[in-house]
Amino acid sequence: MLSSIDDAIIAQAIQAAAQEAGLKLVRAAHSTILREAQDGSAALLDRKRNVVALAELIPVQLGAMGVTLRACLAYYPVETLSPGDFLINNDPYEGGQHLQDIYIFTPIFVEGRIIGFGGSVAHHLDIGGGNAGLHMAATEIYQEGLRIPPSRYNIERDWNGGPFERLLFSNFRVPHETIGDINAQFAANDIATLRLVELCGKYGVDAVVACMDRMLDYTESRVRSSIRTLPDGVYNGHDAIDDDGAGSGPIDVRARITIAGDSIEVDMTGTHAQLDNNLNAPLASGLAAVLSSIKMVLTGPDVPFNEGAIRPVTIVAPEGTIVNPKFPAAVRARMTTANRVYGAVKDALSKASRDLATAQGFETTTVIVLAHRREGGFSICTDPQGGGFGATRLGDGCDAVDSPMTNCSNSPVESFDANFDFFRVVSARLVANFGHGRTRGGCGYARRYRILRDGVDFGMYSDRFARRPKGLDGGSDGGLASCTLYSRDGTTRAMPSKFHLKLNAGDEIEVILGGGAGLGDPATRDRRLVLRDLRDGLISQEVAREVYKLDVLALAG
Amino acid sequence: MHVGVEVGGTFTDLIAVDGETLVVRKVRSTPANPEVGALNALDTCGIGMAQVADLAHGSTVATNAVLERRGPRVAFVTTAGFRDILFLQRQARRQVFDLAYANPAPIVDRASCFEVVERTRADGTVETALEPARVAGELVPALKAGGFEVVAICLLNSYVNPQNELRLAQAIREHLPQLQISASHDVARQFREYERASTTAVSGFVQPVVDQYLLKLEAELGRRGFAGAFSVMQSNGGRMPAQAMRRNAVAALYSGPAAGVMGAVYQVGKSDVRNLITFDMGGTSTDVCLVDNGAPILTSSTEIDGLPIQTPVLDIVTVGGGGGSIVWIDEGGMVRVGPQSAGADPGPACYGFGGTLPTITDAQLLTGTLRPDRFGQGAIALDRAAAERAFAPIASHMATGVEEAAAGAIKLVNAVIVRAIQRVSTARGRDPRDYALVPFGGAGPLHAAEVADELGINRVVVPPRAGVVSALGLVSSEYRRYATVTRLLDADSSVGEIVSTFAQLRRDLCDEFARLGHPTDSLAFEHVLEMRYKGQAFEIQTPLSQEELGSLSAAGLRKKFAYEHNRALNHAGRPDAPIEIVNFRVGAQTRSAKDISLIGAAGEGAASGGDGKEGRVFVGGSWQECAFHDELHLGAGATITGNAIVEGDTSTAFIPAGWTATRDGSANLIVERN
Repeated sequence: MLSSIDDAIIAQAIQAAAQEAGLKLVRAAHSTILREAQDGSAALLDRKRNVVALAELIPVQLGAMGVTLRACLAYYPVETLSPGDFLINNDPYEGGQHLQDIYIFTPIFVEGRIIGFGGSVAHHLDIGGGNAGLHMAATEIYQEGLRIPPSRYNIERDWNGGPFERLLFSNFRVPHETIGDINAQFAANDIATLRLVELCGKYGVDAVVACMDRMLDYTESRVRSSIRTLPDGVYNGHDAIDDDGAGSGPIDVRARITIAGDSIEVDMTGTHAQLDNNLNAPLASGLAAVLSSIKMVLTGPDVPFNEGAIRPVTIVAPEGTIVNPKFPAAVRARMTTANRVYGAVKDALSKASRDLATAQGFETTTVIVLAHRREGGFSICTDPQGGGFGATRLGDGCDAVDSPMTNCSNSPVESFDANFDFFRVVSARLVANFGHGRTRGGCGYARRYRILRDGVDFGMYSDRFARRPKGLDGGSDGGLASCTLYSRDGTTRAMPSKFHLKLNAGDEIEVILGGGAGLGDPATRDRRLVLRDLRDGLISQEVAREVYKLDVLALAG
Repeated sequence: MHVGVEVGGTFTDLIAVDGETLVVRKVRSTPANPEVGALNALDTCGIGMAQVADLAHGSTVATNAVLERRGPRVAFVTTAGFRDILFLQRQARRQVFDLAYANPAPIVDRASCFEVVERTRADGTVETALEPARVAGELVPALKAGGFEVVAICLLNSYVNPQNELRLAQAIREHLPQLQISASHDVARQFREYERASTTAVSGFVQPVVDQYLLKLEAELGRRGFAGAFSVMQSNGGRMPAQAMRRNAVAALYSGPAAGVMGAVYQVGKSDVRNLITFDMGGTSTDVCLVDNGAPILTSSTEIDGLPIQTPVLDIVTVGGGGGSIVWIDEGGMVRVGPQSAGADPGPACYGFGGTLPTITDAQLLTGTLRPDRFGQGAIALDRAAAERAFAPIASHMATGVEEAAAGAIKLVNAVIVRAIQRVSTARGRDPRDYALVPFGGAGPLHAAEVADELGINRVVVPPRAGVVSALGLVSSEYRRYATVTRLLDADSSVGEIVSTFAQLRRDLCDEFARLGHPTDSLAFEHVLEMRYKGQAFEIQTPLSQEELGSLSAAGLRKKFAYEHNRALNHAGRPDAPIEIVNFRVGAQTRSAKDISLIGAAGEGAASGGDGKEGRVFVGGSWQECAFHDELHLGAGATITGNAIVEGDTSTAFIPAGWTATRDGSANLIVERN
């Protein structure tokens, strides 16, 4: 337990160091996926390979950092590392999530010995594979890009024009951006290192190392005391993916949760068998989803995440399922499954405590990739989308926001206009596809793209085209997502939730993101809010009258 | 006579200076009619308004209007397809793990958002020209029916070419001449449509509020015989004549914190201290700002209530640690300080206004650095027993005495301030040891030396009357304006365009100053390029001096940018990585010779070291001897060694053992490590 004042001060300085490293990673990034979507993280890890402090940028990166470092150290033990060495790993079958996430670790030397690691991860725009940015047809990992097994390289010898950098450079489609982002990772590791060395200089190595241990204990105790507030028992949670992308579904995700005192076991037995496409989620993704769910529903935001949070949690993920696929399954769209693990765990937790329950949100990561090959190379744009949040007991679900497991910014339309010549966003509007209730779900939204060149790759994966977010306590379900292709020849076609297509100049495509579900009886909703939504054009007169029981005439009179 | 009046949330501060005359006044603010508080301060300070040549004003009128959403009905108009810009925002959440998260609420409701058919491309060519006839037929009737007072316009890519925005404004004006128009190219000519739209809407919203407020105040001042210059403080650290704020109210959102920084820069500048870190510690929070060679660092945007505002502001980091910050124990058993504050009501336990929770002020009382009968020169009698009761649970949790617990709390709040200072220094590639620490606000000077100790800073400079430095900043600051424009250019091939764009912006600013009746030949200019490696989304500020601009080369610019990038982000790109210019910013400010003194008669006390009454303070785990001095009796040349406390009428300073303080000829207390 952190009781001494100095410990509290050192702990907060360590947390601030990770946060600073993460912020600078994002600020220095070149590719939209890292700089706008903030799909990356930075951490300080201890000498025993535990994450001690993590920049909390994006929930899906909770947890994986420690596992990927441990995989590296299994091949290259701590005592064999020298200054200038770095460890790198993107292998989903060695602790990683999908190949796009590259993990890099730099050992921190103080007084000649390693006391920890600066670590960072970033989602890279393109790492090779069958299609630029996103290969929806992949059936095995070999088609998804370059696999970097847990490896040790030296920055002097192998990077900055060295053989490893050249190897990566020649395998990636937009190498300047990718190498730029990897350099941002090295800089982030250096910042974390610098700050930890400064702390050791001020407080002494022993005090800092001891504090790192106690930080893990502290977080563990906070998580355990949160779990203790739940009644012991077994609770079953469920959520499902619409289909496998070829029309066959639903794909069930199950989480059977056992609360025993201050421990929690999440057993995903009964979850669908692994698929022949890219929806499979490696263990690290499921772990992140479980931890995110616990953090969001149970512990509150002020508990800092570190490896201590994992100690009270046991996860059972049967091999050969979409939550623990066997090699060489493809894994690129693992977010779709991770979101459903999050939903299933949240569902189970809400059965353990009704007070914690919220209506379901859209809770889907929609990744849209537009790419165009031209003389001299590629132009690639990744445009990740969210949807509406589910209603809570405190208020309406958030409108048009990224889904809980991720936290991507959108890119300004003016930034697309300035950077890409092969497509354009022609409209972006709120869509009132939320569920009604005492508190309503958040609005979804729509984005429409116009293609300006022939031969543009348009790839997308999404979900909840068929299964609505569920309402709670009398609130109605949220609305579905959809995608429509408006071809230049005048034909219109409803598209599935997961596809890849070649588009030509003049084609337009609109994606509608789903809204969140409502909570409670709409007739009990604050009349002022019903009127506001009516005035804002988010509900019709008829809905106000029939669903919300608003006496429009009386109000007008 | 120079007079500064700062209307804050709780108190309105006034400072009037003229040679050796100094009047300091604090009255209750009157939030419903803020000008009443300002006039009360003026009416009771004993100065005839006819004598006042220069009246500088800062207020929270614009800020409160936004926070309370009290203002005119605003319509928002944008390009067809994008009416929901203000609601879609940027999609990311600020609290990542909060399921009850809500987006910041725009100041315009959705029913008041409209579209017009038009489109400009990113290169500035107009693809679809705006048709005034359609505006007259569709938009104008809607605006009329809605009873709007203001219309905010933001069309896509208007930062490159405002032609369609100008045509739209013209068409609206023709039919609805009484409507105020806020056009994005005029308010914030920068790319990123959501941020520009938000700035334009907020600007349109606060403008009439500020106009009406200033009109009322000006009329009242006129009635009292005031015939001097009336100016308003801006968030960028400079003033503007009140009449100029008619176009620029959004620039005044954070005048209070900016005035504090400028007051500190001015006052310590007299002692030739030009590299400093200011730290303003009040009741609920602490504001920190870094100043390089007399110029506070600027940032190109800020936000209010979560809504982005693209306007240059002083880069001030605010953290939740002040005298009223509450000390508590979290669920995991860790002692924490803030961000909750007891504020002014109920206030710290020792105030005896009903507060029972332990605060930093209570901790200072328990450790003896504040004396029960001497707080604010005896204005409030502090209750030590109440402070002890408040700290008892913390002490029992830590298994120590109340003094140790109090000392621990002070150490924790100091750590919060240390991290804020690291965010403006080390995190931006600057070594805090190269700077003097300048504390002000009621509580700042009590913590400064210990904060400096943590950062390895050897010099603390405490301004006299440290509690009213913000009001000083109002009267000491110059007139200042910024002009910013986005032009996406390749850095290697644009030297000529850089020089000509800067020249144009300088001309625009000169015209503006000339219109306000200021001579333009004495203006000082600053030039900044906001640049990035191609592909990045965040720009790095790259300042260029007049000389650098005169002999600008592509290679020189590249080197300069790489230096700034490395300083900010710990690395630079390859020597051949393409670099992009995004924004041009020019600042212009007047140069005047003012001599404003904060101590009525510096040296009114004996130069011996004052009247050092003996007492005790609890530091380093034990009670130690400490001398107590009265700030007003500490003459120029007086030297005191720690432990010592300097008690003033607006602030208290602590000089720990191992530090020596000297009152210099400019009345600053120079505190240095032995």
